Amino acid sequence: MPTIQAPEGVCFFAYNNSQLDYVNMAITSSKFVKKNLQLPVCLITDEGSLSWLEESHSTEEIEKCFDYIVTTNDNMKANSRRHYDSPWTEFTAQFNNSNKHKIYQYSPFEKTLLLDIDYIVKSDTLLKYFDSDYSVSMFDNATTLRNEPPLFLERFLYDAGIKMWWSTVVYFDRSDFSELFFNTWSHVADNYDYYQYLYNFPRKMFRTDYCVSIAVHILSGMTAEQDNIGNFDGTSLLNMSQKDDIIEVTSDNTWVMLSHDSKEVWKNILVKTNNQDIHLMNKRAFDRIIPKLTEYLL
Amino acid sequence: MDERLEKALDFSNYALTLNNQKRNIRNRVAQLQIVHHLGGVFIADHETIAFVKTLIDLKHKESIVIDSKNNPITVKSLSELLEKLINAYTSATTEFDIENEKLKKSRNIKKIMDW
Repeated sequence: MPTIQAPEGVCFFAYNNSQLDYVNMAITSSKFVKKNLQLPVCLITDEGSLSWLEESHSTEEIEKCFDYIVTTNDNMKANSRRHYDSPWTEFTAQFNNSNKHKIYQYSPFEKTLLLDIDYIVKSDTLLKYFDSDYSVSMFDNATTLRNEPPLFLERFLYDAGIKMWWSTVVYFDRSDFSELFFNTWSHVADNYDYYQYLYNFPRKMFRTDYCVSIAVHILSGMTAEQDNIGNFDGTSLLNMSQKDDIIEVTSDNTWVMLSHDSKEVWKNILVKTNNQDIHLMNKRAFDRIIPKLTEYLL
Repeated sequence: MDERLEKALDFSNYALTLNNQKRNIRNRVAQLQIVHHLGGVFIADHETIAFVKTLIDLKHKESIVIDSKNNPITVKSLSELLEKLINAYTSATTEFDIENEKLKKSRNIKKIMDW
């Protein structure tokens, strides 16, 4: 465990690949955290991504966004991920996420909120969980921009499988239970093929959501009933699908978005999100609005 | 205009968009109504507020209150909890009212989007 340097804070992992500039997205996500949660932020990255960050952003901006930077040198699993940018464009890129469970050792905070860089904090809702009784909290349900549940395989690991928990937002403290949870996550990640066989989840890519779901299941005595892990009071993770888009940013917190119909993908409706935290799964769409957001967030 | 946006506007149904926005607001209001107090989770709704106020009216200063997760919480100061509940309720309903009024006046999709 690293030396604890602050009581509370937010961590982001960001490892660039050939297609996506994750550190650039982390800069923007951090600005939202600073504005709406007023907490210190730690960036966890590798030397290559850090070097690009320093080349593409001023030292002043980097220092303003990140109070701590942790450089890692972990071997990542080959993990090819198919991304969509609307239903009509797709690309594939290596997704480096196999060391996410190591957040327990990398975080410089006593109480940590680990956010994916595509999770945009547009409210102060998450602040209240720093005082909650739960040592670990994650979302255990999600909704689309149309306020519909996500696809079946994003609710359960397979047809007769266990419930899916999302690793997009993970709150944890330094209790023994938290350590046990991250050790269990690490064990599942190390034995991913075995657990894929056991739990029968899709084998296409390495997903930390599956790892945490199995860790929760194991720590709940292999039952569906559990009271050890918080679920942010049953609220939903609001997911902007990879096939949705952002049409207009009218202020930093108010966006007009395009939400596709999962059955008839050419049909869309417009959705306004206002002061709602949101998971932007379409990374290219996020990337496109960064210049506009930068104007509002400076 | 973006071709997808043109198609979206063609296909978009006013009622569908309006109802979706209403659900968005209700979700946001539900989040604002969640109150954390002494390790318990309370919902700032009519029932909880009325119950806590009743206890206070009956001269209770502290009490064990079952929270929304069915856990017993020893509330040392009922008036402090009531204040938190009222604050959360007021802020949630104020935001609800503002957004709802905007929606009521929105007669087309662009107006709903406030754009």
